[in-house]
Amino acid sequence: MNALADILFGGLFQGSLYAMMAVGLALVWTTIGVFNFSHGVLMMLGAYFAWQLVDWGLTAALAFPIAVLLMAGVGWVLQATVVRPLIGRANLVLVVVITTLAAGSLIENGVLELWGPRSKQIPPLVAGNAMLGGVGVSLHQIAIIVVTPIILLALWLFLNRTRLGLALRAVAQNEDAARLVGLNVTMLYGLAFAIAASLAALAGIFLGGYRFMTPVMGADPLLKALIVVVFGGISSISGPIFAAYLIGFFEAICSYYFGLYWTPALLFAALILTLMIKPEGIFASRSRGLA
Amino acid sequence: MMNMLSVTGLTAGYGRVTVLHGIGIEAGKHGNVGLFGPNGHGKTTLLRAVSGLLKPKAGSIVFDGADITGESARSIVARGLVHVPQGNTLFPDLTIADCMSLGAFSPHARPHEAANKERVAALFPKLAERWRQRVRTLSGGERQMVSIGVALMSHPKLLILDEPTLGLAPKIKDELCKAVLDISKAGVPLIVVEQDVEFLLELTNHLYFINHGQVETEIKPGDSLAHSDIMAMYFGQ
Amino acid sequence: MSVIETSAPTVSAPPRAPGRTPWMTELAGALVGLLVLALLPLVVGDAYGRHVLIMVFIYAVVASNWDLSLGYGGVFNFGHLALFGIGVYAYSLLTKLAMIDPWVALVASGVIAVVAAVVVTIPILRLKGIYIILVTFGFAQLVMQVILSQSDYTGGTQGIVRIPGLYWFDHNMVRDAKFAYFYIALAMLALSTLFLRVFVRSRTGKSVVALRDNEEYAVSRGVSLVRQRMITLAASAFFTGIAGAFYAAYQRNASVEVFGMSLATIVLSMVLLGGTGTIYGAIIASFVLTVFAESMADFGAWRPMITAVLIIVVMLVYPGGIVGMLKALWGLATRRRA
Repeated sequence: MNALADILFGGLFQGSLYAMMAVGLALVWTTIGVFNFSHGVLMMLGAYFAWQLVDWGLTAALAFPIAVLLMAGVGWVLQATVVRPLIGRANLVLVVVITTLAAGSLIENGVLELWGPRSKQIPPLVAGNAMLGGVGVSLHQIAIIVVTPIILLALWLFLNRTRLGLALRAVAQNEDAARLVGLNVTMLYGLAFAIAASLAALAGIFLGGYRFMTPVMGADPLLKALIVVVFGGISSISGPIFAAYLIGFFEAICSYYFGLYWTPALLFAALILTLMIKPEGIFASRSRGLA
Repeated sequence: MMNMLSVTGLTAGYGRVTVLHGIGIEAGKHGNVGLFGPNGHGKTTLLRAVSGLLKPKAGSIVFDGADITGESARSIVARGLVHVPQGNTLFPDLTIADCMSLGAFSPHARPHEAANKERVAALFPKLAERWRQRVRTLSGGERQMVSIGVALMSHPKLLILDEPTLGLAPKIKDELCKAVLDISKAGVPLIVVEQDVEFLLELTNHLYFINHGQVETEIKPGDSLAHSDIMAMYFGQ
Repeated sequence: MSVIETSAPTVSAPPRAPGRTPWMTELAGALVGLLVLALLPLVVGDAYGRHVLIMVFIYAVVASNWDLSLGYGGVFNFGHLALFGIGVYAYSLLTKLAMIDPWVALVASGVIAVVAAVVVTIPILRLKGIYIILVTFGFAQLVMQVILSQSDYTGGTQGIVRIPGLYWFDHNMVRDAKFAYFYIALAMLALSTLFLRVFVRSRTGKSVVALRDNEEYAVSRGVSLVRQRMITLAASAFFTGIAGAFYAAYQRNASVEVFGMSLATIVLSMVLLGGTGTIYGAIIASFVLTVFAESMADFGAWRPMITAVLIIVVMLVYPGGIVGMLKALWGLATRRRA
């Protein structure tokens, strides 16, 4: 019984974090057709913003939303400086990999300079602990498990039930046709990046609430998010969400039975195997072309 | 009556390649306009420049009394100049209903959304039957209908159709031609690129023969040009 | 016109791309470059300056070999640095645990990197674009995880120290102010560059480019996608592995940092800044970027930030990279003279 609770809880928790990260990555990919390799750094920056605001005396309830909004602005600016000017280049995907990596390095070193290397922590969403099925868990983690699906559902509703969300999905599919119905493609690109950066910031706040923050805290979540989108397929939003939880459970099961050491290796082996069999991801029915 | 659209001395191209060399056309005075000529000589490029997808290098485009040269596609659509591009490349993973909703994205089209939707449904009863179906699952002809439907949702004052019947089976082509004629009769002026001479002549008697990025011949209504002459131009003498 | 040019190459025909430069001209240029580099220690007097140059040569080998798979093959192998890392660890383990002669281990490391490249090629043979990036990225992480988990042999996060260095007869490698390592590194770069240029000029090299530019057409003309992709990646691995081994021998320690994102970012920017599909571009960019980074040592923490901004600016302004920039300048200069 203990094992089951352990795996269930661990899987849900990790899956929530991965989903938060991966969805932003997938959103940018589906709308603009580029991979944002500074996504992990954005997550870190969001957490540091939140920390700074709390440090200035704001309550968490005020500081967290402000940090998320600030990060939306950062995402917008990032898109306008290192992505938009490159649209139309023949090797767009490649060039954006390098410019977003460079931008990430810029931000990371800036944070290091500004806030120093000492690790920091932000207050949890909910303080305290609880016993669940014989496993001790923090309420912060429970809050993440509950809040994440709500946010993802809101995102899904936005994309599928509003005209602006519809426009975002349309730009992804055919840019010329999108222009011809009067969509502001530039604005939509900015919006996609802003939403992605906000989600990353939220993930950063989640992570910073139970683990110490460092300027390089985003590297591993970025890696996991990449794996998630490969598993889930990068052409939709729901695919990566399912994949995130699947991988969360995969890791929870692996680390329970094989130990923490072998989990990453097993995960990557599974990833490579998946791609050999179904290159477009488990949940994807198609792939966005990469001309 | 004033011209709806006048293009003068338009030069445009892709990168270092210039496709249009100071081309000029007028539309709106004599009803519908037809463009024809060999492939790769600038018809589509001209339309892309007019609708703002391509920034012209020189020349001017005036629509409805306003200079729209170099304006974004978005503001041109908002002015009521709507372009249905070639090859019905729409949004493959959206449903027909989604596409129609996007067609009415422009603020000026929103108030007419319900009315335009009925108009499209009346024009293409086939689409009305499968409103929730994804575009990628439709046939080529049906996709072309969706494309035209989306354009109508944008509430056009002038509608540009680039080869609407390209590659369609005869039966569905007839259906589509009839719909285009209906749109025209309802009072929307058209600019049409078309390979089917018969259809083009049925639709309009104001034609431009475009060759080497320029207007080689303009045929105005009342010009006594024999059918055979036009055929000769079509097939290169 | 082109027929005449190919059948009777005349001096007056201006070279339009490095690939079309006549053999003799390119060889002469490369030899002059090599001579200049060989004489550099006379100018750069101190051991630190030579150390920077040795690092330049290592980077140049890794970056130019990456350019082979990326620029010519069009295969975005994000695991290229893993091949370098495999070279580092292969050399370390062979010399330290298996007590193999350092020079033998150096070459063996190259061979092991080739084998690894063939293994990673198998899953990406049929993949395209972004999926290749993701799988090769995964491969690099997998290699790192395996090295970390086998800490009994690899030292895990601690890494390996006191790795045997290279030797040259009775020459004292440690107290010669890095002269010997400088020339070994230069020789490695020269051999690697020669190999790469011969490869891309060969029939195989041309078929690889044909595949990159128009896969369907090339395949229909009888070029095997699977075989050429494997050959390209294997070819790009050999000197990369050797560079890794040399790095381990030179630094005398090994750590999993070679698998990190920061090193990959730097080397990748060398490839892209240099301009892909040129080989020489990557080498020049390695030089420029390393020397640039070193010259800003006074800026301390600002250095990586300035480098990042520089990378972004060059990518935004010059799509063709440094080589594209030089070509544009050259075009401007020659036009003015004419």
